[in-house]
Amino acid sequence: MIYFDNACTSFPKPPAVVDAIRDYFFHVGSSPGRSGHRLALEAGRQVFETRENLSRLFNVPRSEHVVFTSNATDALNLAIMGLLAEGDHVITPSMEHNSVMRPLNYLLKKGIIDLTIVQCSKEGHIDLDALKRSIRKNTRLIAVNHASNVVGTIAPLEEIGKISGDIPFLVDVAQSAGAVPLDVETMGIGLLAFTGHKSLYGPQGTGGLSVREGIDLKPLRMGGTGSKSESWDHPDFLPDKYECGTPNTPGIIGLGEGVKFVLHEGVDRIRQHEMMLTQSLLTGLEDIEGIAVYGPKNPEAQTPTVSITVNGVQASEVGYRLDREFDIMARVGLHCNPGAHKTIGTFPHGTVRLSMGYFNTPEEVDQVLESLREIATSP
Amino acid sequence: MKIRGNPSKTDPRCAAVLEAIHYVIKGEKILKGAGLSIDVIPVPREISSDCGMALEFSCQDRGRVEQLLVDKGVTIVGIYALCKGQYSKL
Repeated sequence: MIYFDNACTSFPKPPAVVDAIRDYFFHVGSSPGRSGHRLALEAGRQVFETRENLSRLFNVPRSEHVVFTSNATDALNLAIMGLLAEGDHVITPSMEHNSVMRPLNYLLKKGIIDLTIVQCSKEGHIDLDALKRSIRKNTRLIAVNHASNVVGTIAPLEEIGKISGDIPFLVDVAQSAGAVPLDVETMGIGLLAFTGHKSLYGPQGTGGLSVREGIDLKPLRMGGTGSKSESWDHPDFLPDKYECGTPNTPGIIGLGEGVKFVLHEGVDRIRQHEMMLTQSLLTGLEDIEGIAVYGPKNPEAQTPTVSITVNGVQASEVGYRLDREFDIMARVGLHCNPGAHKTIGTFPHGTVRLSMGYFNTPEEVDQVLESLREIATSP
Repeated sequence: MKIRGNPSKTDPRCAAVLEAIHYVIKGEKILKGAGLSIDVIPVPREISSDCGMALEFSCQDRGRVEQLLVDKGVTIVGIYALCKGQYSKL
């Protein structure tokens, strides 16, 4: 079996991730921040370590400013719904995922915000001048996807961070955290929304938001935090302000091991390997007649996610044949991102997305190319 | 009740109450990393504002404990001293 669906969820996970979750269930089992016995404290220590390692990876100055959520969508909702108020203006590129576009569109339709969607090129690149020109006096948020989940295009965060200035800059790093270098300080990122189950190698149901000091979000949920228990007022200090209820402790501990794996391997080394795979795939695809490739077609400018269509064969049919005839897992369709498909010209039929990861090999790339050649020549 | 001061230690004991469990664990790591002998204990009942757990240490180390915590951005809600079985705020 060849797994080329890492942009959806990375697979396999490093064995240490699975071991840590199993050890938690066998030896810890308790919830952090509630009871005071040694098992609860141990759970608290492991959650703390995960937060510390995430803050190292993203260069967040204080780890309490990394708050856990159930996924990137949850983190993006906290950032968007927690920040925006009536009369605010928001700027976002045309490549954004539904996790950003749906909450923004909801606020737009309710008449709460104004929204400017900056058109990207067919390769998914942002027009920085157009972005700059869109800024108004009431612009309260610039929300950008670091790497496209459809074609992998990487946004120039440092430049956008400079353009944003004092306007909170929200970055969706679902596709890039762990795979592309990130630094909230040098990139001027105010709000960074990540997921745990892609290139951070954690389990599903994990993610978080880093919130820069000075950015005040309305908490979307309130309740038990294990702190200030004598009061009906929700705490106003981080991380408790944005975290309540029993957390996903085994998930967070598994994520912690995934982040340790990334820190140990090094993002640069992971990036090199994934760029090498992307180059092999792109070079091979060029030689297959009847296949169209979308996106930058340049490993330097994208993550190892490549979208294609095959002449005369529907994307869903290609995905089905890859799975049933060739034992290759890929995702087809619109990838929860109609905006990106409209931008690259593949709406409404979508594409076949081949998304590689650190555990894929050049031999697997060759096998995928061979399979696609067969599909393209015998539609 | 054994938690009211570590019975194996005869020196006067103090407790630092912090805002959130995140800070208790951060504080534990900082203080143990600095070689101090500390314990994490349930917050004594006479202290009302709490996150459930507190850091217990020798009162002789109070100055160092406060300095180390403040330097690392850990907000101290209060420092309490155990005297005749009761904690009182310092």
